[in-house]
Amino acid sequence: MQALGRFVNSLEENAIAVLLGAMTLLTFANVVARYGFNHNILWALELSVYMFAWLVLLGVSYAVKIGAHLGVDALLALVDPRIRKAMGLASAAACLIFTFLLLKGSWDYWANFANLPGTEGRWFPLGFEEKFRGKGWYETNDIPMIPLLGFLEPIFNDGDHYEKVPRLIPYMVLPFSMALLLFRFVQATWALYQGKIESLIVSHEAEDAVEDAANRLEATQ
Amino acid sequence: MTVALLFALVIGLLFLGVPIAVALGLSSVLFLLVFSDTSLASVAQTLFNAFEGHFTLLAIPFFVLASSFMSTGGVAKRIIRFSVAVVGHFPGGLAIAGVFACMMFAALSGSSPATVVAIGPIVIGAMTQAGYSKDFAAGVICNAGTLGILIPPSIVMVVYSAATDVSVGRMFLAGVIPGILAGSMLMMAIYITARVRNLPKGNWLGWQEVLDSAIHAAGGLLLMIIIMVGIYGGPWLGYHDTFDANGAATQVFGYYWAPGIFTPTEAAAVAAVYAFVIATFVYRDMGPLAARQDGGSPIPLHRKPYALITAFWHADTKRTLLDAGKLTITLMFIIANALILKHVLTDEQVPQQIANAMLSAGLGAIMFLVVVNVILLIGGQFMEPSGLILIVAPLVFPIAIELGINPIHLGIIMVVNMEIGMITPPVGLNLFVTSGVARMPMLRVVKAALPWLGILFIFLIMVTYIPILSTWLPEKIMGPETIIK
Repeated sequence: MQALGRFVNSLEENAIAVLLGAMTLLTFANVVARYGFNHNILWALELSVYMFAWLVLLGVSYAVKIGAHLGVDALLALVDPRIRKAMGLASAAACLIFTFLLLKGSWDYWANFANLPGTEGRWFPLGFEEKFRGKGWYETNDIPMIPLLGFLEPIFNDGDHYEKVPRLIPYMVLPFSMALLLFRFVQATWALYQGKIESLIVSHEAEDAVEDAANRLEATQ
Repeated sequence: MTVALLFALVIGLLFLGVPIAVALGLSSVLFLLVFSDTSLASVAQTLFNAFEGHFTLLAIPFFVLASSFMSTGGVAKRIIRFSVAVVGHFPGGLAIAGVFACMMFAALSGSSPATVVAIGPIVIGAMTQAGYSKDFAAGVICNAGTLGILIPPSIVMVVYSAATDVSVGRMFLAGVIPGILAGSMLMMAIYITARVRNLPKGNWLGWQEVLDSAIHAAGGLLLMIIIMVGIYGGPWLGYHDTFDANGAATQVFGYYWAPGIFTPTEAAAVAAVYAFVIATFVYRDMGPLAARQDGGSPIPLHRKPYALITAFWHADTKRTLLDAGKLTITLMFIIANALILKHVLTDEQVPQQIANAMLSAGLGAIMFLVVVNVILLIGGQFMEPSGLILIVAPLVFPIAIELGINPIHLGIIMVVNMEIGMITPPVGLNLFVTSGVARMPMLRVVKAALPWLGILFIFLIMVTYIPILSTWLPEKIMGPETIIK
């Protein structure tokens, strides 16, 4: 179980590092190509934008796991621990509701791009819709099709050849990441209930670094 | 009225301790489900569109990454050495050098807490050793650290541009003069205090030290030159066309102003790659060529040439990417959800309603700016600056245009307000960070920062009512602005 946890952790961390590194290098390479070789990598912008979306959407659940989301702890710091815990659980409930609604929305949005039915119901999924227009043939603007994805053609495009990568690929991250986020929020809620964590938020982006900086300052005196 | 309910819900959730992103997103989604016929699928589409539809925002991860590479190494140390060499011999020299170092570090990083964390430990430590009180040191750094978001490149400015469709390039240029002005005002105030209170001054270390330290710091400082020259162009020596009275072109050799070659997003990506190269191969504070133990000397590249390849997946590189990734993720999740809220507000035509209400109440430009100041000063204490800008900017922007306020000027006013919100008691963000770094109780930091806060308040009034401070440089370099209503 612990080995699995470590594996998932390094998978998440590597995905974040690789996506950020790749989008930086890709944008840099495009600049070099344009001014060095007078050649524009046409698909570079669109691909880096999709990598950006993947980075952030996949990353939000990791940020929940390590407790990195920013929030306001002004009131939390004032009240006594029992009230703090109650407030923590209430805010966890808000997170669960939000993620659940987004998961439904994400599925509904993505499903038609993958020739799958969206869900009925406005707030709560009440079964799958019976009639819908499949949008599996929608392609991205510039990213050329890669042979590796050829298996998609008979499934989503009636066997017709895709010129560009179909949109169902980049949009896939929506339902996947929201499902992952819901899972992480459930875990965090449980940890909060058991008293293993105090809250879901940090008050500012440099919270880890502050402790480290304070130690460095003390070392000089 | 229903919109008041929406904002009450956002504020309620925030104080409950809900992550900012979720507070913004959940309130908007609930509002849409109850009061409109928008589907959840289109909310998901708006969320994805935060990335797909806003190329400007792509600059944020790159600037964050560049500043992460710059913060890992000893760049802060080198910049401080350079500032001490330049201004350390004045009365109160070390404090002035601290402000100067914060200004330069602000030009490498887009964040205020990061500036305090990088510069604070070194300067506060050195100042207490030189005989300053710890309160004085903490107060100065706490204030100067806020320059991080005003001096370009600045993440908050990128966000303002994305929210209002103002050019990022203009915003960056507009921040230059106010940034230098704010820093100079702080330095002047320190100088006067030092003369009155007879604070310690350092020794003049000679031009040799200025030159040496400048060379050492150059690798870092070049970053801002790459960004600025890349976007705006710069003086260049070479063949270029000149036009005579008849419009005929002739090629001559000489100095001329070469145009910029990068978009701000590309400049950010180039800056990130540059920062990686400097940190790994030039300063060698991190990566495969770093010294094995503390105080050791770094390994020269010719002894370990394969480092050119292995540096890309070295543990230090990966950790920096991960740190920058984490910050990008949390910031962008807030921004994406703020965009959902913005979507709701525009759908409900809230900005127009507020604009009409304010205009029919006979509110003039001056009173309007006071109102904006007050809203942002209060909001800036609680909210992450980029999220707040994204919500407030669409609300006040149409009114500002109606009242004839320059959009660039409005942007700089908003950024300066965010800055001051960070050091306004009771809950300013920089106060927290400084109290953590200096291990001082919050109340002591508040007291220590208060005198300098007064200076920044005067600065805010100047920036608010003297538009030319912000608008002169962008108009000089990029031509007059066309305002589309």
